[in-house]
Amino acid sequence: MKHHLLFSTLLTAALGLQAQGTVKIALTGPFTGGSAPMGTSMRDGAKLAIAEINAAGGIQVGGKKMKIEAIERDDEAKNERGALIAQELASMGDLAGVIGTVNTGVCMSGDRYFQEKGITKIITPAAGSASMTQWSKAGVKDLSIFRFAADDAIQSSMVVEEAIRRGYTKVGLLFDSTNYGVSGRDDLMNQIKLQGGKLQVVAQEKFNIGDKDMTAQLLRCKLGGAQAILIWGIGPELAAVANGMAKIGMKAPLIGGWTLSMSNFIDNAGRNGNGTMMPETFIEDPITPKAKAFIDGYHRTFNVGRIPSPVSAAQGYDAVYIFAAAVKQAKSTDTHKIKAALEDLKEPVKGVIATWHHPFSKWNPADERTHEAFHRQQVVMGMVQDGRVVFANAAEKAQLVKAAGK
Amino acid sequence: MKRLLLIHGAELAVFALLAAVPLAVANPYALGLLTLLAIYGILLIGLDVTVGYLGQINLGHVAFLGLGAYAAGICLTRFGLGLFPALGVATGVGILLGGLLALPALRLEGPQFALATLSFTALSFTFLNEMESLTGGAQGLSLTRPPLFGHDLTPRAFFWLCTVLLAFVWLTMRNLLHSQWGRAFEALRDSAIATDAMGIGAYRHKVAAFALGSGLGGLAGGLYAFNFQYLQPQSFVYDLMVILLLGVVLGGRKSLWGAFVGASIVVLLPNLLSNRHVFLAVSGLGFLLALGSGARGLVRKTTRPFQALAPVVAMGLLVVGGLLVKNTEDWRKAIFALMLFSVVVGLPEGLMGFAARALTRLFRVAPSPLPAPSPLDDVLPLRVADGSAFLELEDLKRHFGGVKAVDGLSMTVRSGQIHGLIGPNGSGKSTAVNVISGLYPPTSGRMRLRGRPLGTGSLYRAAQSGLARTFQNLQLFGELTALENVMVALKGVYRSPIPLVLLGLAKGEERRARADGLALLDLLGLKDQARTRAKDLTYGDQRFLEIARALARKPDLLILDEPAAGLAHPDVQRLIQTIRRIHQRGIAMILIEHHMDVVSELCTLVTVLDGGRVIAEGSPDEVKRHPKVVEAYLGQAGPGDAASEPA
Amino acid sequence: MNALIIGQLAVSGALMGLVYALIAYGFQLTYATSKSINFGQGELVMVSAFFSLTLLDLGVPYALMVPGGLIFGALLGLLVERTGVRLALEEKSEGWVLLTIILGLFFFSAAENIWGRDDRPFPTPLSQNPVQVFGIDITRMEISVAVGVFAIMGLIELFKRRTLLGKAFEAVSADRDAAELMGISATRTVMLSYGLSGAVAALAGILVSPITTVGPTMASAMILKAFSVAVVAGLDSGFGVVLIGMILGALEGLASFYIGSGWREAPGLVLLILALAVRPTGVFGKAGIRKV
Repeated sequence: MKHHLLFSTLLTAALGLQAQGTVKIALTGPFTGGSAPMGTSMRDGAKLAIAEINAAGGIQVGGKKMKIEAIERDDEAKNERGALIAQELASMGDLAGVIGTVNTGVCMSGDRYFQEKGITKIITPAAGSASMTQWSKAGVKDLSIFRFAADDAIQSSMVVEEAIRRGYTKVGLLFDSTNYGVSGRDDLMNQIKLQGGKLQVVAQEKFNIGDKDMTAQLLRCKLGGAQAILIWGIGPELAAVANGMAKIGMKAPLIGGWTLSMSNFIDNAGRNGNGTMMPETFIEDPITPKAKAFIDGYHRTFNVGRIPSPVSAAQGYDAVYIFAAAVKQAKSTDTHKIKAALEDLKEPVKGVIATWHHPFSKWNPADERTHEAFHRQQVVMGMVQDGRVVFANAAEKAQLVKAAGK
Repeated sequence: MKRLLLIHGAELAVFALLAAVPLAVANPYALGLLTLLAIYGILLIGLDVTVGYLGQINLGHVAFLGLGAYAAGICLTRFGLGLFPALGVATGVGILLGGLLALPALRLEGPQFALATLSFTALSFTFLNEMESLTGGAQGLSLTRPPLFGHDLTPRAFFWLCTVLLAFVWLTMRNLLHSQWGRAFEALRDSAIATDAMGIGAYRHKVAAFALGSGLGGLAGGLYAFNFQYLQPQSFVYDLMVILLLGVVLGGRKSLWGAFVGASIVVLLPNLLSNRHVFLAVSGLGFLLALGSGARGLVRKTTRPFQALAPVVAMGLLVVGGLLVKNTEDWRKAIFALMLFSVVVGLPEGLMGFAARALTRLFRVAPSPLPAPSPLDDVLPLRVADGSAFLELEDLKRHFGGVKAVDGLSMTVRSGQIHGLIGPNGSGKSTAVNVISGLYPPTSGRMRLRGRPLGTGSLYRAAQSGLARTFQNLQLFGELTALENVMVALKGVYRSPIPLVLLGLAKGEERRARADGLALLDLLGLKDQARTRAKDLTYGDQRFLEIARALARKPDLLILDEPAAGLAHPDVQRLIQTIRRIHQRGIAMILIEHHMDVVSELCTLVTVLDGGRVIAEGSPDEVKRHPKVVEAYLGQAGPGDAASEPA
Repeated sequence: MNALIIGQLAVSGALMGLVYALIAYGFQLTYATSKSINFGQGELVMVSAFFSLTLLDLGVPYALMVPGGLIFGALLGLLVERTGVRLALEEKSEGWVLLTIILGLFFFSAAENIWGRDDRPFPTPLSQNPVQVFGIDITRMEISVAVGVFAIMGLIELFKRRTLLGKAFEAVSADRDAAELMGISATRTVMLSYGLSGAVAALAGILVSPITTVGPTMASAMILKAFSVAVVAGLDSGFGVVLIGMILGALEGLASFYIGSGWREAPGLVLLILALAVRPTGVFGKAGIRKV
């Protein structure tokens, strides 16, 4: 008897009708495994925004208010999973759009299925250049993929700029052996050339995910006389680099991608991380009321003392608001109409990173910046100081506070 | 016949169903999953060759998937090769590198084999990641699926291509694995020593199995490349390997169906679990199944309590957890793990092993009848024994460190003679046999067979030159049937080259082998046990099967290492009769035995060893009275009582 | 200068190699008694480290945390033995390979959900400042790893030689059937070995965490290397793992510097395959004679 009851409950659950009249947004990213701190921060930031919107009754779509329904998919940072998830989502039919993806490789293997069906996707926080340049290279006329992250081209130009500004002439390049690290190396080398070749690269060294002993790579930099280390990698290994430098008594600042602002670098490098600099779209510093509300909300909702990856969380949060604005403007949950609205957002969107005025425009295969939301001015230089990320340049902070006040 | 019809019918139905799916379902996700299923089917059939048939933990298969994928991708993007040539290259790369890797891995087993193959996986990852100019390194290799005969391959067409290839692989592998090759692979798993001693060749078959399995890995890799159209070295690492291994074992080893079911599980389950409703349904159903079968197993006492309870607890945990946990996506890996745990504990033979048993119970189809045995004269032709010196040993020595196990043995075995070799425990009889048969190289001394020097230190070469032996500690191929044990050792029957075998054009020699094998089983009185697995035979029958298997070598000289050890009295009489009959066919024998009555009754000449040296030689009656022999057996009244000595 | 570089690389690498050796020793313990190893040993290291960190967070003093962590590790080892190994051993199958992998997968997922997916620092009472020995920089944590490795291996070897239980352990390792005939329970001895192996894994976690940080993936890279060390040294080689571990670690550092950091692992892997081809039972393993 009991079995029958249980079984019939399961059956109804399995056949159960999905909630009707919602805006379905898929959140994808690595929620397990090594890239999970970024994936879950992005997801939770997005869910925070969704909860806020739903608490206010939902999005005004045409005549009625519709709530957002989040569909979560864990791609485990695996390309294969990413492709399957993209196929699954692309075949759903009533999906309004997709937000997420941390790993550039997953974009490379999965996004084509969205593009084929014209499903709107906002990539965040994957920053690898290739995930957008693949479309301009292919000469795609009409693109439904957008990016909401400071791409590596911007970041690397800022890193090189900073190194030159601080008067360094010899630098070492360290990068992890994944797609992220290697394409970061290419961007950095490219930027060094673009900015007049003022930096001499004395060492180019790789490390693997999970490596803890960086002595060999650092010795090469040290022997080459590197004054700073430009670095592209992810949290724990970056901390191993900082700690390894302390061990062999090497004093050169690390300058690198935004991943240096993740807590798994800052906490684990401890005081060895001081002076590390990275471009940032969001600093976990309640300088504006909006930022304070977001940070507090995140801490409270997900019961943490610190956001694992504030950048990912803030980008996930803002991406949802921008998407919601597009739904509202399109007056429809049809993904193609939302795409058209995203390319021409009329109303500014107040986000936690910035107030977004017309973040995207009509796709132009000759210029992938048309689908990139971030430009140089939304990104600031952060610096690690005593376990926190602060503004490296006071002028940039003042500017942000002023912009928010307007 | 009916049985074959059923099996082939089921295969046909599944493939037809698979091929028809895209006609009915337009959903690209379902199509994507099924395409991957077909690719993984090929991949796992390849893995099953090493894991199931060879019985080794192969952690290198994923590397061949990757290398094959990159080979196909590079052929396409660099050299502009078409689809089939690229797939051919991918397969070739797998076969070649698989064969190469097998060389150092040949002597390894168990954890050592696992590590060697794991290292290969790590090496190939490093290679793919570092050769940026060739592979694009970590940034990956993008490619576009090439057209086939001038037509663009739509996802649907590509799925059909994969299905056709899977069917092709399925058929050819079935032909191969049901032939001498498959038997040899299994023989290798059960006893590498006996495989060599029976002249089957452990070396050759291990390389072949590995090359073949890896070739299929390469082929799957090629399809993988065309399916995903984007490759990164990091996809082909240990994580995926573990999943593949789980797939093979869950599906059921040594079974094409098992590989297919395993592929379905590893492809479909992780993806389907993302859907909460599916998860709830699967876990609830699994819980009920575990409860039902566990309770039945306990009541009928067919399973151990742990085996019955653990799956119930694991699935119960899932059901309860599913209700408590808000976000099951976060726990997906744990859910997957608990489900796998239940299956592995509850169904140790894998899903297909379980299903096969259930199905045979359900349908009760009789196996096809066995053919009539060949005439014995065809299998073991009569030889003329002229009493000439056949095997000559001269001052043979074998020392282990300071232990002189054999210390200057000289003896001559004449053709058509049964030569007894006796001596107290530790006198060096077994070591002498092991040196003659090639298990150990001699420390010094000469061995001549028909006047020519006998190769030393290789069981295989000794077997090839006409020696066959049995083992004191049985070395049967336990998982093979009695008939297969004999068939696998048959000499001079298998002549077809591998392509014919693959295409199923070698059925004639297979029939012949079966008839010949039955003739030998008949000779040993085992004909009624032909379909019994060797490990399920009685101890006595196992001893006789060893002799039948050695006879399949059609040897000039048969070495029987304590054939009567542990036999009950009636069996000893049966043994004596059997040896007589073998002797009548003109085969020379060396008989090592403790039972003095057996020796007296059969042997014309007896050599007595003690402390590694010959202390007496002569007719059984002569040696029995020899003072040195009496002295050697001192404490046991006399050699005549040696029969009572335990083996 | 050049000698100093080689020295620094070799010493840093070798000290890292000691960690591989310690985990490898955990493989040896269970292999000795049961011819099985726990493929989820890395997850044992990780979960024990997380548990120890939680103890510290709860205010347990460092000196009490260490035994607490070790006991927890031992209990986990026993759990693995009961759920993943015993059944397979009773049936003489190789099911333990899969079951231990599966248990590892479960522990991993559970740890992610219980302790989060992020890497966290592990406090240490030691000072962060490196010390210089003959011009070579060594951190105090690295020294503590070396001390800990030798201490626990020494203790366990002593235990095996000096106590009755330990001698039972040796007896089962040498000949399981004979030991059973002498009235020694092989099942209990296997349990003991898994418990010890779990404790060793926990110690590895506690020692290495201040260097590597604690996170779900902290041991995934290490475990494969530890497995290599155990097999190349020989799964019954005892202290052989220490030497092989140190050599492998040093080799990695040197290869990274002289060949290129991307090829860091390649020379070790090639040597490993060759070593196995020449000595299948391991460099220090007992080269068994083929018996029939």
